[in-house]
Amino acid sequence: MTASGAVHPAAPSRREPEAPDGELARSFVTAARLGYLMEANWTDPLLFFIYSVAKPVAAALILVVMLQVVGGSATATYRSFVVIGTAFWALVQIGITGLAFAILDDRERYRMLKYVYVSPSDFLVVLLGRGTARLLIGVTGAVITMAIGIVALGVPFDPGRIDWLMLAVTAVGGLVVTLALGLLMGSICLQTRQESWSYPEAFAGALFLVSGAVFPLSILPAPIQAVGLANPLAWWIDGARRAFDAAAPSSIGGQGSLFTTLTGQVTPDNGLVLLSLIVTGAVVTLAAAAIFRYSSRRAKERGLLDRTTGS
Amino acid sequence: MATRLDLVGRSGNSPRQAASWTRRQALLTNLRAVRGRAYPRYIGLFREKSWVFFEILLPFLSTSAFVFVYRALRAPEAYVGFVVVGGAMTAFWINVIWMMANQLYWEKSQGNLELYFAAPMHFMSILFGMALGGMVMSSTRALAILVISTAVFGVSFAVEQWLLVFLVFVMTLAALYGVGMVLASLFLVWGREAWHLGQLLVEPVYFVSGLNFPVARLGLLGALSVGFIPLATGLDAMRQLVFSGAPFPIGTPPPLVELGILVILAVVATAIARWMLAAMERRARVEGRLTVRWQ
Repeated sequence: MTASGAVHPAAPSRREPEAPDGELARSFVTAARLGYLMEANWTDPLLFFIYSVAKPVAAALILVVMLQVVGGSATATYRSFVVIGTAFWALVQIGITGLAFAILDDRERYRMLKYVYVSPSDFLVVLLGRGTARLLIGVTGAVITMAIGIVALGVPFDPGRIDWLMLAVTAVGGLVVTLALGLLMGSICLQTRQESWSYPEAFAGALFLVSGAVFPLSILPAPIQAVGLANPLAWWIDGARRAFDAAAPSSIGGQGSLFTTLTGQVTPDNGLVLLSLIVTGAVVTLAAAAIFRYSSRRAKERGLLDRTTGS
Repeated sequence: MATRLDLVGRSGNSPRQAASWTRRQALLTNLRAVRGRAYPRYIGLFREKSWVFFEILLPFLSTSAFVFVYRALRAPEAYVGFVVVGGAMTAFWINVIWMMANQLYWEKSQGNLELYFAAPMHFMSILFGMALGGMVMSSTRALAILVISTAVFGVSFAVEQWLLVFLVFVMTLAALYGVGMVLASLFLVWGREAWHLGQLLVEPVYFVSGLNFPVARLGLLGALSVGFIPLATGLDAMRQLVFSGAPFPIGTPPPLVELGILVILAVVATAIARWMLAAMERRARVEGRLTVRWQ
């Protein structure tokens, strides 16, 4: 009785003086900082910078040389298409894999996931913080890829012609969707064993085919184009690409595309792109949140949070 | 006790005598170590079926993406074949990076590395075992990617010199895994950077190796790649051999010369790996890094 009396007064006083919002923000910032430190504290900033940008830049260069190999009139048109798409895709890939890898790292390698879970911080907020840190590293890679594209690969850049509002709105929507997809993969990895390391990349690879990042969806069979139209990343990349370079071909529409068949329009206008991004993005985000809640509860019930499988 | 010693091929009544091995005993022990380290790799082919799925799916997806890029550009169909061959070869490079180069770092994190060093065999046996098992494992992946992609995208091959294709393929693997052994010894001391170094060695190497296009298109950079990167040399030679008559840019040596380059690369890489392993092990011992996990 005495012991319980000693504990109970302390428990509410720990949370009540501070607003929950402040605590959430603090957890988020701490998790994001931890995520960055785990990624980067072993090396000097220059080396880390090189590691972060080498992958997307090399991926863009592969595609640019492929365009040169083929030659012809399509080359110039598609150059900015593939460079911008590759830059954005690097961001998506690191966002999707980052959050899932945070769970796997903490559970399988450092074996800290159970301690994170029982800490006073909200588990979801901590994971989002970790994922955001990796996403910001991806933003750096994307920006540098774009800069190299503008300086060396012939991507047109005229600040006066960029639709900044469209770019900003699609960027926010795209980043939220990317984190939601990362959360979805994290939920799955919470349930699975060590082979889960491959899942996020496989998922990102599958999405790559239906996102119109480096080729228009119209090249795909109609049923797969339909999957692409339901993919918020496809709307984000198309909207952001055309906000940046209005002359770039649409990855959604085009002659013979499913979009054109369904709507009668050759390319979607900005309003339709935003509406589609918001609708598909909201569905994905809500689904990811619900699946994460379910997965988190199930992991706790079945003792999966401290299970290690020898990876 | 005497029976146990006999079973492992040792003789003598004292520890000193038992420790004095003949060449044959040492060789047999090293061969057993090669087999033992290769075993988890080829048995893993059947044990973890999800790995089979994902290791085939991932390269197939990226191969498909590049095929669609060429199709969107209405490129000649021969280029689709180039992409498919390149996609199949990625299975080997991914294996070299993640299951050779990074392996010793992971072994250290799991606490196996000190056991390897304490065991009575040459450490090169471990690397050879990893390489041998990796080759078998990746060959099945590469074959699956090749067959699936060929069927899905309708690639047609035109091979005139089967023996040369076989020799080029074998020597490409020997050179690739030789490079993998060199990287493994380097990663032994690079610690936590290993994962990022692995990332750094994937897409950039794909680019300079001409994974999806003829490497000759890269000019001087392509020539240097053919001279020093086995993936580039092997890919270029195989493309010349399996797509006889395809429009191929001039600028790289004929397949026979590239086979010679691969032989040299394989021998040099293995020798360097042996030397570096000893040097890196010494350095890691001095700096106390062999048993420090996650650093």
